[in-house]
Amino acid sequence: MTEKTEGTDSRLVKMIVFAVGEQEYCIPILSVREIRGFEKTTALPFAPHYVCGAINLRGVILTVIDLAVYLNIQPLADNPRRVVIIVESKNDTVCGLLVDRVIDMADIDLGDIQSVSEEGGSLNGLVLVNQRMIGVLRLETIVGQLVGDTVAE
Amino acid sequence: MSDDMDDILQVFYQECDEQLQELERGLAVLADGESGQETINAVFRAVHSIKGGAASFGLDNLVRFAHVFESSLDGLRSGRVVPTPDVVKTFLKAMDVLSDLVTEAREGTPVDPARIAESQVELEAIISTGGAASAQADIIPQDFVPVPMDFEPVPMDFEPVPVAFEPVPVAFEPVPVDFDFGADTQAEPATGCLVVTFRPHDALYERGDDARNMLNGLADLAAGVPGGHMTTTCDFSALPVFEAVDPLKSYLAWRVVLPPEVTEDSVTAVFDWVSDACDVTTTREDGAQANPAAALLDEEPHAQAPAVPAPTVPDNVVQDSAPVTAARDVVAEHAHPTEPASPVASTAAPVSQDVHAAGGAHPHPAAAGGAARKTEQQASIRVDLHRIDGLMDLVGELVIAQAAIESLSRRTDPAAAQELMQGIGSMQSLTRDIQDAVMAVRAQPVRGVFQRMQRVVREACSMTKKDVVLTLEGEDTEVDRTLVEKLTDPLTHMLRNAVDHGIEKVEDRLAAGKPAQGHILLSAGHRSGRILITIKDDGAGINRQRVLETAIKRGIVAPDAQLTDDEINNLIFAPGFSTAATVSDLSGRGVGMDVVKQAILSLGGRVAIQSVPGEGTTFSLSLPLTLAVLDGMLIAAGGSTMVIPISSVVEAMMIDQRDVYVLPDGGNVISIRGSCMPFIPLAAALGLAQKPSDEDIREAVILVVENESGGRAALVVDEIRDQTQVVIKSIEKNYRQIEGVSAATILGDGSVSLILDVSALIAATVGRMDKALDPRRGMAA
Repeated sequence: MTEKTEGTDSRLVKMIVFAVGEQEYCIPILSVREIRGFEKTTALPFAPHYVCGAINLRGVILTVIDLAVYLNIQPLADNPRRVVIIVESKNDTVCGLLVDRVIDMADIDLGDIQSVSEEGGSLNGLVLVNQRMIGVLRLETIVGQLVGDTVAE
Repeated sequence: MSDDMDDILQVFYQECDEQLQELERGLAVLADGESGQETINAVFRAVHSIKGGAASFGLDNLVRFAHVFESSLDGLRSGRVVPTPDVVKTFLKAMDVLSDLVTEAREGTPVDPARIAESQVELEAIISTGGAASAQADIIPQDFVPVPMDFEPVPMDFEPVPVAFEPVPVAFEPVPVDFDFGADTQAEPATGCLVVTFRPHDALYERGDDARNMLNGLADLAAGVPGGHMTTTCDFSALPVFEAVDPLKSYLAWRVVLPPEVTEDSVTAVFDWVSDACDVTTTREDGAQANPAAALLDEEPHAQAPAVPAPTVPDNVVQDSAPVTAARDVVAEHAHPTEPASPVASTAAPVSQDVHAAGGAHPHPAAAGGAARKTEQQASIRVDLHRIDGLMDLVGELVIAQAAIESLSRRTDPAAAQELMQGIGSMQSLTRDIQDAVMAVRAQPVRGVFQRMQRVVREACSMTKKDVVLTLEGEDTEVDRTLVEKLTDPLTHMLRNAVDHGIEKVEDRLAAGKPAQGHILLSAGHRSGRILITIKDDGAGINRQRVLETAIKRGIVAPDAQLTDDEINNLIFAPGFSTAATVSDLSGRGVGMDVVKQAILSLGGRVAIQSVPGEGTTFSLSLPLTLAVLDGMLIAAGGSTMVIPISSVVEAMMIDQRDVYVLPDGGNVISIRGSCMPFIPLAAALGLAQKPSDEDIREAVILVVENESGGRAALVVDEIRDQTQVVIKSIEKNYRQIEGVSAATILGDGSVSLILDVSALIAATVGRMDKALDPRRGMAA
């Protein structure tokens, strides 16, 4: 179904929409591997403050990014619906995004995205879906920062 | 067929590699001045085998050179040539050329013809000094006789290939040869024809009978009728794919249409002797009634097949009803081929394809398949049988232990719990043994890599016009296979460097009162759970003054920096550093040592340098034994459970507050039985907690840890939890490198735990790497 839509009109992309605090964001559904409940993470030394820590995903160790901290948003307090979206970026790096709740899916026309940041920012742009303003995240940037910026020696 | 040839070629190249190693080993022994006949024979055999194999593959370049090489070795074998160092050197050079020629044949990288010619001239000089002009003459005919003998392993290995093909023609022989079918199958059946279906059981063949006999008998019946003609169709439908064919089973059935004149009784007579070993039905094709069955057999089946009505079973079935159903089965099965005129052709085609695949030992005859196999073969290892057997035994024990635990777990009495614990204990030790056994299977001696280094040194010598001997030690030390492979490049770099920069020019050596010949020792050994590889040269040592000047010039260190000797030594590993005044072919691009260090670090290893001016330099590479599993101590610090490699833990003890001293810079040292060492609060050092208060420290435990060069430090942890084996998992795959952490592991409860890098922790705290931690220096820093 998804493939068909992409085949006929490549500008239409299925996105998964989730909430961080009061704000809604989305990422392409094809980059999502799975969604898991949030479990205890292992703290990592010298990690950026937005990294919750490491978890074990069936023998693979990956890090979880607290999107609320990353995006500088007030998270919902005491939220039992918090989930980790496991995403895989284009260069095969896998990581988890801690979000407050997953809302639904939406077909988003890439042409409708209103760019808000220059190339390379973590927010690709904003899009209006049913009168809701949804931020489109740029995964490559977020994951790239995780792998890329090395700790100063 | 070319596919099979590729296979054999691959085996040939593998053999070449082995023979070249053999050759290298033999020549190394000769170079040491021991010239036993055994060694000479081994060397001769190696070259001879390569030549023999190359000849059968038409690798002319290789054959030509190997022949000259062999001829010169023949002089050695017959005692006409004495293996003087010069002669051996010529042979070594020739061996390098030979190995390049093998590479040329394999990968197509051409060898400089001048080198071949040069080596050839030298070899011919040896042949002629060997006197005996006859050598030239009689070598050639004498030589080619043993070729097939030496290469026996190759055809032997591949025997399955031609054998596998054989059954093909045999199995299908009856079809095209014996029977004339198809010519008029379309036209039949004429009304009143007698249709015989015949399906032999396995038993028929077991008693030595042959279906051919029956069919010939039927053919005779047909021939007995004037103008009689027999039509035979073979039913392949029960035939499995070629791989699944059991030669002792009967898969084929036949349907024979005989002229109307033939009587049922005569047919029964033909099958008289075998009626208990086959299913035979005889049906008279009788006008409309029989037609549906005939249609099923001989016309396009898909239309009729679903419409098989029960009453179509012909009335005049000769035998009892059981074979009738069998016959109907046959009929139904036979409905597969859609073109009755050429059932054999259509069925045979896919079968022969399968056969081809099985015989070619490779299901993809295409070039792509060939490439895939190539990499597959390169990734193969040879393992001693006894290691596999040992592993097998262990697995057997594991199965028993598991069964024991299972039965214990079903018992409910109190004693069972105790026994269960014991069972789990034995399971644990078995798991560990199995793991060791698997590691042993993966282990390979470093000999291969080390011997390759001889050549590296030889080439470096000829380029720098220096005379250096490389001595190998501990070549039998076994290292994990992946490590062995990844060691080649760093070692090559380091040895080139040792020859180029380490060893002085001959004049300088003589002036310094050293022997003209330089000496490099490459050794490997196990040391406290790690592999220690040292490269020791007897050159001039590192010129620290020049290193420091260069580093300042390159902006690697500040001009006013005060560095210790060790720090200056380590500067040569800095990126973009090169002291060579001129950039030579060999080294001096300023990437070498930096790359070496990165390569070793990525293997979880470390590099240390010791250098004494005028006496030489020693590089020590310390590498983990395996890349997969580690013995670790589970500790708690800052609320996390972490793993410290057992190999780096010296002792554990409680803290006596009075032994802890505060340094002016806020750091601490602890004195343990009179020796001072840095005092590292682990959680704080990793940035997971604030610096602990005196109160916290009083409760804590210290672990005395040691890095490779013997430097010690006291790690302060909250508690020691357990000692266990952990599986090493990379963090860097999905994250970045963390200072002080080498990798991570997954604990029994599924949580992630970090494996600490003790050396990096010590280095980060003390600010200097791999240094005997003299506390006075520590305080001065």
